[in-house]
Amino acid sequence: MSSSTAALLDTQFDNSEEEEDFKLQPVDTSDDGASDNETAPPVKSKRSEPNDEDEDDEGEGEDTAPKANDDDDEEDEEDDEEEEEDIGRSRKRRRGPRNMFVEDEAEVDEDEEDNEDDEDEHELIKDGFIDPEDNHDDLPVGGETDDRRHRELDRRRELEASMDAEKQAEILRQRYSKPAKGRGLGPGGNFTIVPKRLLLPSVEDPSIWAVRCKEGKEREAIFSIMKRIEERKGTKQELAITCAFERGGTHSTMKGYIYVEAHRQADVMTAMDGLVNVYPRTKMILVEIKEMPDLLRVTKSVQLDPGAYVRLRRPPKYANDLAQVIDVTDTGLEVRVRYVPRLDYGMNEEMNATDPGKRKRPVAGPRPPQRLFSEVEAKKRHGRFLQNRGDKTFVYQGEDYVNGYCEKEVKIQLLITKDVNPKLEEVTRFISSGAEDGTENLDLNALAASLKHGTINASYLPGDVIEVYEGEQKGIRGKAISIQGDIVTMHVEAGPLKGQTIEVPVKGLRKRFREGDHVKVIGGSRFRDEVGMVVKIVEDRVTFLSDQGHNEITVFSKDLREASDSGGGGSLGQFDLWDLIQLDPSTVACITKVERESLIVLDQNAQVRTVLPSQITNKIDQRRNAVATDRDGAEVRTDDVVKEVGGEGKSGGIMHIHRAYLFCRSSEGGKNGGVFVARTTNVKSVSAKGGRIANQTPDLTSMNPATKRNANAGGDMPPPKSFGRDKAIGQTVTIKRGPHKGLLGIVKETTDTHARVELHTKSKVVNVLKEYLGFKDKVSGQSIDPNQRGGYSGGGRGGFTPRGGRDGPGGATPGNWAGGRTPMPAASHDNGRTPAWGSSRTPAVADNGGRTPAWKSGGDGGRTPGWAQDGSRTANPYDGNRTSYGAGNRTPAWAATAKTPAYSGGSDAFNPGSKTPGYAGNSGSDSWGSKTPAYQPQQQADNNGSWGQQAPPVSNWNSNAYDAPTPGAAMSAPTPAAMNAPTPSAYSAPTPAPYSAPTPAAAPIPAAHNWSGNWGAAQPMDAPTPGGGQQGYYGAPTPGYGAPETPAPGWQDDGPRYTDS
Amino acid sequence: MFFLYSDTRQVTLHPSYFGRNMQELVTARLLKDVEGTCTGSYYVISILDSFEVSEGKILPGSGLAEFTVGYKAVVWRPFKGETVDAIVKSVNGMGFFADAGPLPIFISKHLIPTDMKFDQNATPPQYTNNEDQTIEVGTHVRVKLIGTRAEVGAIYAIASIKEDYLGCLQG
Repeated sequence: MSSSTAALLDTQFDNSEEEEDFKLQPVDTSDDGASDNETAPPVKSKRSEPNDEDEDDEGEGEDTAPKANDDDDEEDEEDDEEEEEDIGRSRKRRRGPRNMFVEDEAEVDEDEEDNEDDEDEHELIKDGFIDPEDNHDDLPVGGETDDRRHRELDRRRELEASMDAEKQAEILRQRYSKPAKGRGLGPGGNFTIVPKRLLLPSVEDPSIWAVRCKEGKEREAIFSIMKRIEERKGTKQELAITCAFERGGTHSTMKGYIYVEAHRQADVMTAMDGLVNVYPRTKMILVEIKEMPDLLRVTKSVQLDPGAYVRLRRPPKYANDLAQVIDVTDTGLEVRVRYVPRLDYGMNEEMNATDPGKRKRPVAGPRPPQRLFSEVEAKKRHGRFLQNRGDKTFVYQGEDYVNGYCEKEVKIQLLITKDVNPKLEEVTRFISSGAEDGTENLDLNALAASLKHGTINASYLPGDVIEVYEGEQKGIRGKAISIQGDIVTMHVEAGPLKGQTIEVPVKGLRKRFREGDHVKVIGGSRFRDEVGMVVKIVEDRVTFLSDQGHNEITVFSKDLREASDSGGGGSLGQFDLWDLIQLDPSTVACITKVERESLIVLDQNAQVRTVLPSQITNKIDQRRNAVATDRDGAEVRTDDVVKEVGGEGKSGGIMHIHRAYLFCRSSEGGKNGGVFVARTTNVKSVSAKGGRIANQTPDLTSMNPATKRNANAGGDMPPPKSFGRDKAIGQTVTIKRGPHKGLLGIVKETTDTHARVELHTKSKVVNVLKEYLGFKDKVSGQSIDPNQRGGYSGGGRGGFTPRGGRDGPGGATPGNWAGGRTPMPAASHDNGRTPAWGSSRTPAVADNGGRTPAWKSGGDGGRTPGWAQDGSRTANPYDGNRTSYGAGNRTPAWAATAKTPAYSGGSDAFNPGSKTPGYAGNSGSDSWGSKTPAYQPQQQADNNGSWGQQAPPVSNWNSNAYDAPTPGAAMSAPTPAAMNAPTPSAYSAPTPAPYSAPTPAAAPIPAAHNWSGNWGAAQPMDAPTPGGGQQGYYGAPTPGYGAPETPAPGWQDDGPRYTDS
Repeated sequence: MFFLYSDTRQVTLHPSYFGRNMQELVTARLLKDVEGTCTGSYYVISILDSFEVSEGKILPGSGLAEFTVGYKAVVWRPFKGETVDAIVKSVNGMGFFADAGPLPIFISKHLIPTDMKFDQNATPPQYTNNEDQTIEVGTHVRVKLIGTRAEVGAIYAIASIKEDYLGCLQG
């Protein structure tokens, strides 16, 4: 070693000017292995090709298992011996492992090392890398060398000293990083293994023939050959075969053949001649040389240990049943197993079995279920077949039953030992005292033993963190990259092979988890799809805490895989975990667990059921605002925490409220995932009193409640303040409540709240709250609204109506006032319109005089116009009757205004006018009547006739199904006509316009003119009010009415139009 | 671990709220919506007093104004491996539950030192090593989170007291 190193050093020093060499040099000095790195590069390119060839050569014979790199090394080494010519390669190959070796265990095999070094040198010389002379200097051992060494050391020190720190660092880095890389080839560089290459058969070696043989008799055949060899040993007929062997076995692919090695086929023939079960004369196969090694490859036979699980092949009754190995006989050919018997104890035997002597055919049919042996059952009918051996051991029909299991000796051939894959359910049958959830008591070791070979359903997916626990790569951890069949390609993340990608067979793998991992069961166990967090790991057994049930579950790591964080509470179709469902009309239930096909539910009677989605009537959507009261009467809502009173005193948050049942869920888990059902009368609210926060910030995405109209009036506007004389005075009223209930009287005086009523029945004046009064019409006795009458509200309406008009589309007006509103819809139908609003209003009047609308809307009603009207009414000459008058007035007012704007639907005030004509048109000849007629021709007639009279209008009102409007309209129409503009104009300023337009056409217009003059001064807007304008008192109203301005323009405009028409 | 976390949030405002105090409304809304919530990976403990309310933009169609509010909040994100103090909420044979502030934690019996045994007959039920440590409802414990599970709007954790300096804080 030393000599070669020295030589190298020398040679390199010559080139030491070059930086690269510089760097590498110290590496060389440290160990000669690294020096190869220097020398190797020139040949490196050559390497790859031969290498491939190589692998082809050997590859075929080798195991299909992926080769780790150290394997390669090993084999390459073998190659080296043979293929000396490829020096560069061989050197490199050998160095890797050896270098390591030298470092780690320097004393070992020192000789060998030296030898190799010598060899190396020779090779180097051959290669021309080293000057032979140089070499010669080295060879002589003695003082010279010593001296040289000293010098060498000095030089090196000098060199190192001359280098700056950076370079040194670099050198150090190289020195220690490189070997690591080289060493990556694996710690397994085994020198100790004798190169197999040398032992492989060659052409000179005898050939092997495969000879047909009776299946299952292979071993016998071999034994007889052995015997024959012994017999003929030393005789003339000595067998010329060198070897014979068989690879039989039930599962072997080489069964049915024996293999005989001999130099000539004839020798085989003679050796086999006359042997039973061997058929040398049928096609004998010559095994190719490269296949020979495969013949001897050892496959691990399935090791059956007591406790392992197997499956039975026979008898058919037990086919595929799980059995547990109790004992293995010494020969290894038979095992004693126990399994759960399937016995019917003669229940299915025919009662009149004719001839017991006759062999009975096994009855085809369903086999009895697996049940532990029962002495009682057996005694019932088969007492004669039963023997008690004591200690829970029986012999029944020739079979042993111990502890309820059937025990039997079975030939291995009759067992399925591969891919047993026992399911946990099956296994639990073998565990008498096993916990139901398969935890601690389960003999998982035995199970594991059986499962080791059952790799088929161990599903690995790319990304799984896996660990090799068996074989040469034991202990390697990494991530699966891809999976093909039984081979997993993994990226190693820890250990010496870190960073590499290797292939490993599935059977030596297991998945790796850490505590706290979120996992999901994917395997065939009955915990499938459970999700939870790992709390404990023992070998490949993983215990995790289920997310749903808060129970612990132990499974094999192969059945687990990392779960996504979201958990997956699980849903089945439209049904989700914790949903409330309707099972039948009287039963609801809460889903406590979602399984693959079914749902586990807890119904209102606290029964746990398993239901299929198809059995569910429907899902009950959660009612967020459902409220119930607890036993103390406190209200509880969903999400409130309640505590059971009595019972187990469970507490939990309410998930669902259904009638008197609460479905609650305790956060601490427990049965049913913590869900329990309680009656509302059986729980107590846990949260503090008034725990609900009242001052929540308002919902900023919807209307600000503060800006809502009448926000603080409880919705409706208060009755308008009335000014002046109370309209109620002088009205005929009935008293609706109190001691005088039902009595009729006349209001004499009023205050804000009370009225003094003079009773008709006895001459007495009583004080009654105003709201207890019902206003009646003096004549008809019908209920009326004093306000409306008085104001004839016409005014009121009129008032607002115009306002609406003014506002534009009238939208506002209608919106606020019933009157106004009505027209709106009416608008859609010509005819309908009038009645529509009319009706709305009228009823208002009729029903409750007070009808809030009147009052409320009264805001408007109260409006000046209203007043005005009152005044007008009172004073109105023709109308002796105010009411009627009012009505008349109003109607037009309304009609006109309300309608108008409404109809107009637009800003155009004219529309009304236009509309009115429209009406007229409809109705026919009578222009204003037109409207009326349309609505109620008769009334119109009345109106016309008795225009000035109160009665008709009243009757109109009353009689009219509150088409009041109609009458109103009618009235109005006439009014203008009769009266000449003023009146009509008064209110309806606008209104009349449209209506009256036709008839009095002239009238309004002038009126208007007048008006505008008069009023205009007062209120330009009101100008329209023309009606008002004409008569002084109107004026007052008008202005108030002010609103009417709209009409004004409208009217004016209308005027012309009408005139035109 | 606690963090100071900057985030933004969209707040929409109905036109009826438009006015001078829009900013207050928006921030009040933000506080109500965000403070004390759990996103699934962290808890928002508190929002600091500085907001950056953007100009409102009217959303076409609804007329609502949308504000983007930038805020800073103190958040707590439980990490695997973090050690926290918690109060025991319930004890059962499988382990015990404890709350670390808003975070419910389960400590499985596998993660409790083996010398601490569950005593069903004590009132209340407890884990005790019959010496200095007794864990029952209300006990303050120091635990190390070994796993967290995030759900929509909630986090759960499992933790261990099977290490030095973990476990009961009293006594």
